[in-house]
Amino acid sequence: MATEVILPRLGQGMESGTIVRWLKAEGESVQKGEPLFELDTDKVTQEVEAEAAGVLLKIAVSEGEVPVGQTVAFIGAEGEDVPEVAAAAPEEEAAPSPPQTAEATVEVQEEAAVASGNGRIKASPLARRIARERGIELARIRGTGPDGRIVAEDVERAEAGGPSAPAAAPVRLPTGEVERLPLSNVRKTIARRLTEAWRIPVFQLQASADMTRVNALVARLRERDPDVRITVTDVLTKVCAQALMRHREVNAEFTEDAILLHPSANVGLAVAAPQGLVVPVVRSAERLSLTEIAGVRADLVGRGRENKLRAEDLQGGTFTISNLGMYAVESFTAVLNPPQAAIVAVGATEDRVVPIDGETAVRPMVTLTCTFDHRAVDGAPAAAFLQTLKESLEDPGLAL
Amino acid sequence: MPELTYREAVRDALSTAMRQDDDVFIMGEDIAEMGGSMGVTAGMLDEFGKERVRNTPISEMALAGAAIGAAMQGMRPVAEIMYEDFLTLAAEQVVNQAAKLRYMSGGQLTVPVVFRTQGGAGWSPGAQHAQQLEAWFVHIPGLKVVFASTPEDVRGLLWSAIYDDNPVVFFEHRTLYPIKGNVPQEIEPIPIGRARVHREGEDVTVIATGRLVHESLKAAEEAEADGISVEVVDPRTLQPLDEETIVSSVKKTNRAVVAHEAVTRMGFGAEVAAVLQYQAFDWLDAPIERVGAKFSPLPFAPVMENFVVPHADEVLAAIKRTVGKA
Repeated sequence: MATEVILPRLGQGMESGTIVRWLKAEGESVQKGEPLFELDTDKVTQEVEAEAAGVLLKIAVSEGEVPVGQTVAFIGAEGEDVPEVAAAAPEEEAAPSPPQTAEATVEVQEEAAVASGNGRIKASPLARRIARERGIELARIRGTGPDGRIVAEDVERAEAGGPSAPAAAPVRLPTGEVERLPLSNVRKTIARRLTEAWRIPVFQLQASADMTRVNALVARLRERDPDVRITVTDVLTKVCAQALMRHREVNAEFTEDAILLHPSANVGLAVAAPQGLVVPVVRSAERLSLTEIAGVRADLVGRGRENKLRAEDLQGGTFTISNLGMYAVESFTAVLNPPQAAIVAVGATEDRVVPIDGETAVRPMVTLTCTFDHRAVDGAPAAAFLQTLKESLEDPGLAL
Repeated sequence: MPELTYREAVRDALSTAMRQDDDVFIMGEDIAEMGGSMGVTAGMLDEFGKERVRNTPISEMALAGAAIGAAMQGMRPVAEIMYEDFLTLAAEQVVNQAAKLRYMSGGQLTVPVVFRTQGGAGWSPGAQHAQQLEAWFVHIPGLKVVFASTPEDVRGLLWSAIYDDNPVVFFEHRTLYPIKGNVPQEIEPIPIGRARVHREGEDVTVIATGRLVHESLKAAEEAEADGISVEVVDPRTLQPLDEETIVSSVKKTNRAVVAHEAVTRMGFGAEVAAVLQYQAFDWLDAPIERVGAKFSPLPFAPVMENFVVPHADEVLAAIKRTVGKA
């Protein structure tokens, strides 16, 4: 049976002593008479020797004040069971583990830092309190403070239901070392699918469209119904859906033994979410009104930015719109989104000088670049599709 | 309201107290004919005579001890320590005697003494004549510590220090002596232990002492141009500290900067930061920023001195860090 190590009375009148540090660690073997721990009394600090030989099985009180006679440790044979200690000194709970060398301290700090990188959410105390009081989950808020810390403003914004913080990333000075960003599942999927897409023989067609009427339409609809916030993307979605239904050979999918023509235009929208590119789908867009499209789009994009899309939101697309117009990109080429047969890349709408009726005019122009899977679509029908798209944008009434 | 310099405000408090009260007298090195190395006591010898304006030998320990003895006998001496650097020589008397005697005598003795002293950089006095050592004395139970930054404050607080029944270490800043400010016609005592809000703001509170109060006010104006609203609070009394005013200000602004000329490490601002993190933890939206001198003896060369001690620029940078605009 294990021998209890009792706090000894070292002098007359001694009621208690303070354990300063243990000179043996749990699991270490101890000889009888070997110094076991340092004890501080109101008179002296002295080493207390072991009364028994064996293995130091358990340190019950690692540090702090203990009354004389209390069990502070157990010595016994290796692997022997240790009885529960009845009453531990209150100091024990708070007491740090035994001898803390400078090295040990550094290790602990490093661990904490690593932990904060993995899963610990950085938020200011104020932000935490507001989130706690209003029942807001910090995990779904993106911080705009230094090093991405969530500050009070971010919580207020999240509660107001506004879009999460603008993409303005906090300025972080490079450390001078290569940063390693482990691949997330989203990133892995993006890489796999784009690599597949790259093996498909594709061609691109490009056309520019005069957006005067689309802009006027959007302005008019916003004026009529400010709550809905129709955007140019919504008009593009509608116009693409109608063009796809008129040119069903583009709303297609190439398979080993057949080309599938889809009955409905499910238009995917490429969204830059915090975790990477996602493409939620507006289903049967040809049947939806602009207002309905705007509602679906706002919901999908909002949830995409909050990383809350469901699998079904991302499935079944037959065509994709990738719009970088907000970044002052004039035109660009998008990589196909298999198994879809086509994707349109939309640049910025910008004022350009264009000839109209033999005169020069300044018009808001957009350049559309379509990428097609040549296995499914030939050049002429593809060009016809793009022409319909251009004409519908220049005269949105034609899309009706 | 009359306008006085900070130097005249100190002199006015001393002279007024000496006129109305025979128990009050001043002592120190070269304070009589010379009027003190900073000219604070100039002219007082003529008015009050050498019994009450007493030159002492060049021994800070002896003059501090003599002042403590006189205080225990019922006088209200104001002892001038020429430079606060020399408080190190008087430390035994100030720390082990003045601070302890009331306590150790079970209240039978009181020590109503004021140790007036001055320091601070900005005029190339070198490493031994411009330190800011207030933190040493804030650490001693039994002492009150005052650091006034304006003519009005220095006059009202010195008055309260003279009439406090406990030992007070009273810090003045060398570069503030010539600054001018309006003061009330009659001396209005300013209670020890009460902070002053110099400027109200919404976004961040700067808690500053001494010269840094003025630097912080400058920084606050510049910050305002950037749309940052800054509150500037001067505790004025470092011990006892007006925690209520400071904490409630930070609960309002959610951000704090502490600023003083003394070195940052273990400075008075560290204590303020500790008070704030504990009492206003759930109100803080950014880490508390600290502004102080770099951890170096003060260099003699003006450019280097300027580099070591903080100015409005450093306070402004700290303000911007707290609001994430750095």
